[in-house]
Amino acid sequence: MAIPNFLYKGNRVLLKELTKTDFKLRYQGSALGYLWALLRPLMMFAILYIVFAKLLKFGSDIPHYPVYLLVGTTFWSFFTECTNQGIQAIVNRGDLIRKVCFPKYIVVVSATLTAVINVLINLVVIFIFALIDGVTPSWTWLLVPILLLELYCFSLGISFLLGAINVKYRDITSIWDVCVQALFYAVPIIYPITMVAASSVTAAKIILLNPIAQVIQDLRYCIVTKEAVTTWSSVGEEHFFWKLIPLVLVLIMLVWGSWYFRKKSKRFAEEI
Amino acid sequence: MTQQKSNNTSEPTLDYSHNPVVISVKHLHKSFKLPTERAWGLKQAIFNRLKGIKGYKELKVLNDISFDIHQNEFVGIVGRNGSGKSTLLKTLAKIYFPEKGSVEINGTLVPFIELGVGFNPELSGRENIYLNGALLGFSNKEMDAMYDEIVDFAELRDFMDQKLKNYSSGMQVRLAFSIAIRAKGDILLLDEVLAVGDAAFQQKCADYFASIKGKQTVILVTHNMNNICKYCTRAILIEKGKVELDGEPSTIAKAYNNLWN
Repeated sequence: MAIPNFLYKGNRVLLKELTKTDFKLRYQGSALGYLWALLRPLMMFAILYIVFAKLLKFGSDIPHYPVYLLVGTTFWSFFTECTNQGIQAIVNRGDLIRKVCFPKYIVVVSATLTAVINVLINLVVIFIFALIDGVTPSWTWLLVPILLLELYCFSLGISFLLGAINVKYRDITSIWDVCVQALFYAVPIIYPITMVAASSVTAAKIILLNPIAQVIQDLRYCIVTKEAVTTWSSVGEEHFFWKLIPLVLVLIMLVWGSWYFRKKSKRFAEEI
Repeated sequence: MTQQKSNNTSEPTLDYSHNPVVISVKHLHKSFKLPTERAWGLKQAIFNRLKGIKGYKELKVLNDISFDIHQNEFVGIVGRNGSGKSTLLKTLAKIYFPEKGSVEINGTLVPFIELGVGFNPELSGRENIYLNGALLGFSNKEMDAMYDEIVDFAELRDFMDQKLKNYSSGMQVRLAFSIAIRAKGDILLLDEVLAVGDAAFQQKCADYFASIKGKQTVILVTHNMNNICKYCTRAILIEKGKVELDGEPSTIAKAYNNLWN
């Protein structure tokens, strides 16, 4: 049901209409409107940059550290926005689900697509920043969409799983808030991974098995500097399988999330 | 049940039994788990599990419902509050899944459990029409074809680019209702949505319903027995989740009024 449905025209129309509405209404009534999609991550970046790069002198050995940091914060914002919206989607659209019959996953996908649109806008800013900062454009910039897709799949898997549980147990929203806070420190966004590796190489390797960390480090490698430590480069050739763990985790999350969501979705209308 | 029906609809003009069956409901059961204590939230769920409390009681809402609806029948569903009418309608609309038994639909079904589902006050009238249409499964192209008729029926052409929040409540309902009756589906499901708008608009709706009687399949849930007698070609009385009576509208209307005697 789930996969062929996606190709069905009516569902694509609904997905388009819902996403359009979501995006249009997100910044409704604010003076700066869509500009906030750019300003929010940039402001978060400014704060982190002042605190960590200027005051605490992090990353002084990394070339183009501001862009390096910006890549981390932008994609981290994408992940949190995506999952927050995705987990809330079904509950927020309860009025629809109780009154019309349509494939429920559309609601989750449309809620998360707003985050995708936002991150695409921010990507343009990143590339501009990179060029201003003197980063040499490289063919690896073309790999960015693939990495974005990987992170999106991971976010979507989490959204499906937790969003389905959230229908019955609204505690999930609060629990996820805490998890996101913890994850923020478990992913090398503000601190360079080399800092962890300096005290414990094993800890650094474990951190890099997290798909979010893998994607962000790969993005930095592709966009900013070939000196960025990636999961691929941190694991020796003799442990080839370990290099694939983040990808396997993404796949598991997506399949498990979709399966669970699909199983539970027929009761959403009654339980919301 | 079909036996009863064909006996009662002996008038030749009201006999639709030769038409193809568009909705076939067979031994439909549906029950809900009603939380006894507040079983919402993780804490209560864990508490209840520990204390061995089930946390809910089962409420049987639909109990072995069977009927066939033929093409172009205008069927009224009546019954007192809590008898299971809306649950039945939602199961027909596939919002609820049947627990036991089956619901078979031939053709596109356009459900209006409530008017204006998904209407957003911040969107314009036009955008709301297309959003509502998409929710009902219509493509933009199909909506383009219906758009003019909807706007004309609602008599709101001058307001289409205004935000919905600037509409009066009567205008909002008129727009929603016009989408409902102008949506090109084979089967129309309506739940208590007849008396909307001012006297003139109500008259227009009445005329419209009279005009489609016998030309389109409609299922209507209402408490208004005048409407049942006026528009319906057949009525079903639901009581305690069962089909109590199925037959001619006037007979059903009488039986409905006798429920309280």
